[in-house]
Amino acid sequence: MACFEIKDLNFSYPLRGKKALDHVDLVVEQGEFVVLCGKSGCGKSTLMRHLKPVLTPHGERDGEIYFHGVNLKDVSFRDQTSQIGYVLQNPDNQIVTDKVWHELSFGLESLGVDNETIRLRVAEMASYFGIQTWFRREVSGLSGGQKQLLNLASIMAMQPLVLLLDEPTSQLDPIAASDFLETIRKINREVGTTVIITEHRLEDVFPYADRVVVMDKGRIIANDTPRVVGRALKDENNEMFYALPSPMRIFSGVENDLECPLTVREGRAWISRLLDGADIRERRIYDEKVFDTSDPVVEMKEVWFRYEKESADIVKGLSVKIPKNKIFCIVGGNGTGKSTTMKLLTGILRPYRGKIKIGGKDIRKFKKNELFEHNLAMLPQNPQALFVKKTVREDLLEMLSGFDLSKEEKAAKVADVAKLVNIEDLLEQHPYDISGGEQQRAALAKVLLVEPKILLLDEPTKGLDNYFKFRLASILKELNKKGVSVIMVSHDIEFCASYGDSCSMFFDGDIVITETPNKFFSGNSFYTTSANRLSRHVFLNAVNNEDVIALCKRNLATK
Amino acid sequence: MSYDTFSTCHPLLNFCFFVLVIFFTMCFIHPVCLLISLTASFSYSVYLNGRKSLRFNLMIALPMMILAALMNPVFNHAGATILTYLPGGNPLTLEAIIYGFATAIMFVSVIFWFSCYNRIMTSDKFIYLFGRIIPSVSLVFSMVLRFVPKFKNQASVISNGQKCIGRDVTNGDRKQRLHSGFRIISILTTWALENGIETADSMRSRGYGLKGRTSFSIFHFDTRDKILACIMGVMVILAFVPIAAGAVHIVYYPMVVMNETTPFAVFNYISFGLLCYMPLLLDLMEDVRWRVLKSKI
Repeated sequence: MACFEIKDLNFSYPLRGKKALDHVDLVVEQGEFVVLCGKSGCGKSTLMRHLKPVLTPHGERDGEIYFHGVNLKDVSFRDQTSQIGYVLQNPDNQIVTDKVWHELSFGLESLGVDNETIRLRVAEMASYFGIQTWFRREVSGLSGGQKQLLNLASIMAMQPLVLLLDEPTSQLDPIAASDFLETIRKINREVGTTVIITEHRLEDVFPYADRVVVMDKGRIIANDTPRVVGRALKDENNEMFYALPSPMRIFSGVENDLECPLTVREGRAWISRLLDGADIRERRIYDEKVFDTSDPVVEMKEVWFRYEKESADIVKGLSVKIPKNKIFCIVGGNGTGKSTTMKLLTGILRPYRGKIKIGGKDIRKFKKNELFEHNLAMLPQNPQALFVKKTVREDLLEMLSGFDLSKEEKAAKVADVAKLVNIEDLLEQHPYDISGGEQQRAALAKVLLVEPKILLLDEPTKGLDNYFKFRLASILKELNKKGVSVIMVSHDIEFCASYGDSCSMFFDGDIVITETPNKFFSGNSFYTTSANRLSRHVFLNAVNNEDVIALCKRNLATK
Repeated sequence: MSYDTFSTCHPLLNFCFFVLVIFFTMCFIHPVCLLISLTASFSYSVYLNGRKSLRFNLMIALPMMILAALMNPVFNHAGATILTYLPGGNPLTLEAIIYGFATAIMFVSVIFWFSCYNRIMTSDKFIYLFGRIIPSVSLVFSMVLRFVPKFKNQASVISNGQKCIGRDVTNGDRKQRLHSGFRIISILTTWALENGIETADSMRSRGYGLKGRTSFSIFHFDTRDKILACIMGVMVILAFVPIAAGAVHIVYYPMVVMNETTPFAVFNYISFGLLCYMPLLLDLMEDVRWRVLKSKI
């Protein structure tokens, strides 16, 4: 018997003409690992929510869903609570109580399970998920990855038959994200729980999937094994193709009739076979970017920082020159001091030793708000921290309230910036009603209205799908041309490699190396892009997918 | 912050202990009992909170006590032993001075006990004890404790976010600052309501609202707790019987009349002393036990 059987499901939100779900037919077998993907707003979350009746949105709906042969409407609240587990996107918001152990037992308490059984189940879960060391801690002290793991464990404690996960890793850093997905796979393999997951970072999850379902405008457009779906997306020239793992994209870029690789390991084997027998003359890609610091816009000189006199140093003797009108990327692990460095640049924190110069002027010599007037601005990690008004337009206008401008001039400025970041259609909506990527662009528009010369970005690609990332990159390039220098801190290696002008590795409170992305990533063997890991045994400095494809093509031509 | 054995006992014992010692201290303003209570609470709070509490106890609590003691005779003129006359013409009596000191000691001891209470009775223990009576209240309490640090954190995120686009609360004249402050509160409220929806979803998807909700706890009432409970019970009875029998009593006005130090009264002092010093004795026993264990290795 199938776990879920969806028969001709249609759904539309009230007061919206467009169908959110359009004739959806889908069968998910027991024990399957299904990845549901699609652009933001394609209806994947809506579909997921239909599989858990308490979370199903209100609206016009027809069609039936069967859960283990029973119509989902007839499944009681108690049964759906224990049998259908649902993990949401934001790790923080899902946690209800203040202690880890209490959170773990929350679902079981609701089900009215007695103390002895809860004790056993909680112990079991804590051991399985490796939570026992922080079992008695307060939840507020946990990292994002730990919080999401706790959410998962607290649902698994109810022993569900199926686990629904709605973009569970979008708010996590890449390492925590792959750990989390690894845990999901482990549950699927070892416990046999059916998994349905929506994701936009397909790199990690694709190789695990038994089946991939692609949605577009409320319809299912592909539903097959990962390899077949990859080929279909390529053939249809679908935007979702750019969200596929690097090995698949590289594979599709080169004419060949070998089997499609899913992982880096398979990709390496594929490229070896592809070029087998060819005389590899070209091993190097031309790197046109140069890292030049002769005219720095920001300069830090032996900067030291710690929060309290007794605490440990966080930034340790950091010296860096940041070039003008470029995209300067800082990468590195969690807790190495990246975000603290950003705060130092904005003057929120002050170093206890060393100098920071912004545009050639010592940061201490800036008067109160001078630093932020047409000079420096930062886009926070969570764009929601900026929105004040009921509509995006009002919000943008509010930003100009301090300036001495006429109404028309203000409106013109807002129109300009809206065009630049591509949010003209969203101006009348509430800032909280638009998607994550749109919110970010709206926030960016807001920041740009202060006309900064230096733009600081903290994790700008977090939670964005590849399509939005591409848009963001082109906006940043546009800003570079207009004389804005961009400094960004990111975990997103692929983004920095493709669009950055230089990359710096932050480690232990200091920048270890700064280079052009090509030199930077081709010099690393672990901390580098998948395209580079996939091709480094053949090519010397291919960092992006396009590099690998170009080199493959050139060498194949001589075969 | 040293390791404390008493805090590892069952929350019910922790709570009863504090209720009892505070009750005894407040109800029987008897000099011997007060001195026992004062020294016990003082040493226990210093043991628990270390140097910081020592500073507070000596610099703030003691002067407060002396002040309180001096205030009484100024306003209270009852008592038979007149020492002298105050400038206003009112008599200054020995009884008022003694009573002032007694109440001041009582007052300060209770403060010390409460500082210990705060360290020992953590929120989860409190929730556990009272959650059994009203399960929904315990959940609300726990949610509030979760929400407060989250809210605080978000407030600082928002304030920094605003600062980085030149909207600083610490900048500008009073009107501007007030405006920025309101803006932050407004953003925070929207944020809280919006994100609260997801929390509600998470609660519903884990069956909140089903009938027959239980309340899980990680506390056990083990043998040690049973023994301690018995000891505490015996101490309380032994301390109470002499009082009930009239062997321990004191009257301050019009003349200070205290019971004689009969063996029966000493009985009361010892039992009450043991009760007050119980947590410290437990810690001492634990220390000795570890010393012995170590020396055996």
